[in-house]
Amino acid sequence: MGRTWQDMEAFEAFLDDGGIVEVDDHMPDEYRHAVFTFIEMHANSEYMGGLTERDWIPKTPGLRHKMSVLAKTQDEIGHGHLLYMVAADMGIKTRTEMIEDLMAGRSRFHNVFHYKAETWGDQVAIAFLVDAAALASQQAVFKNCSYGPYRRILKRIISEEGFHMRLGEDRMRRIAEGTQIQKDIFQGALDRWFWPALQLFGPDSKPDDKLLRWHIKSERNEVLRDKWVQKFVPMMHSYGFVVPASDLAYDEDTKKWDVGPIDWEPLKKTLAQGGPDSARRIREARDNWEATAWARRCLDGAAV
Amino acid sequence: MATYEVFLKKDGKDEYRHAGALDAANDELALVMARETYIRRAEGNRVWVVNREHLLMAGDDFISPNADKPHRHHDGAAVAARRKAAREADSSEAGNDE
Repeated sequence: MGRTWQDMEAFEAFLDDGGIVEVDDHMPDEYRHAVFTFIEMHANSEYMGGLTERDWIPKTPGLRHKMSVLAKTQDEIGHGHLLYMVAADMGIKTRTEMIEDLMAGRSRFHNVFHYKAETWGDQVAIAFLVDAAALASQQAVFKNCSYGPYRRILKRIISEEGFHMRLGEDRMRRIAEGTQIQKDIFQGALDRWFWPALQLFGPDSKPDDKLLRWHIKSERNEVLRDKWVQKFVPMMHSYGFVVPASDLAYDEDTKKWDVGPIDWEPLKKTLAQGGPDSARRIREARDNWEATAWARRCLDGAAV
Repeated sequence: MATYEVFLKKDGKDEYRHAGALDAANDELALVMARETYIRRAEGNRVWVVNREHLLMAGDDFISPNADKPHRHHDGAAVAARRKAAREADSSEAGNDE
């Protein structure tokens, strides 16, 4: 079953023509592996993000916010699940293999989940800055994604991420209208999260980026990053906060903000599992996976 | 564990649409998983959950013999051309009256 292409050239012509690849098509191995790795990293990131969110359920101030954090935690873990299903169907690794690789530190997840959320302010900054950056990246993939199953599942994920981003901005608004202590805590969080959020987009795309050529990504990293800067720098200012970029400059001619040179070393460290909080994050995810093994055993026992 | 496919439908004109897949230990848990994973924000009023093993699937090879059946279509081109010619004849007669 499924379609076959004579060679890579024919396959790429199909993609350039707006063709959508389905799971049972005989796609080139290179494409299959590149798309799989991309989806696996997305799935891992949703999962690790869900665990971060879960850490804050007991500590979230106020019942209404606590309920939102519960909903968001379920969203993130759910997104992980949806994406693992799509990735597993590509026939490279099973869902369990992907989770075990994640727990063993053998596969990657996004840089932002290698840092520690110190205060409630950090959680708000993450929801505001990081969720927005993740959403922008996902929208750019959804726009033109050539792998059908991923594109369809992204539609649902994006609509839920929109809820998270609105939640984040609303929490920031409350803090901006709050006491000086609240504002100081949040400024500290912005200082910690601005750069990791910006680095989430990655360094400038290489000219031969396969994900661009194969219509997985629809936009270059630097373009998405710049759009985020143009949107979030003025927004942080409008709420009365300082953008933690010492070289921040506004160009009157282009009407654009420039954050100055970007240090990519921290991103590289997180990709090698060497971020400030990588070891604890992976360890706790593994402890949690092992501590819930009984539940999976019960479910297996219920199988008919 | 078995893999299930989830289809959702909103009340109204829309048809059932494929939403995605899930892994579950049995049928009852598959329904619970479908609700908690795919129907958390009014994405549908009805759901079908199907064990993937029970789906009958066919691809191009099976369907393609059906694609080459011109006698199942009619483009109506000859009739349309006749009507067009009649309209044009009418309007040129109307033009002669002026």
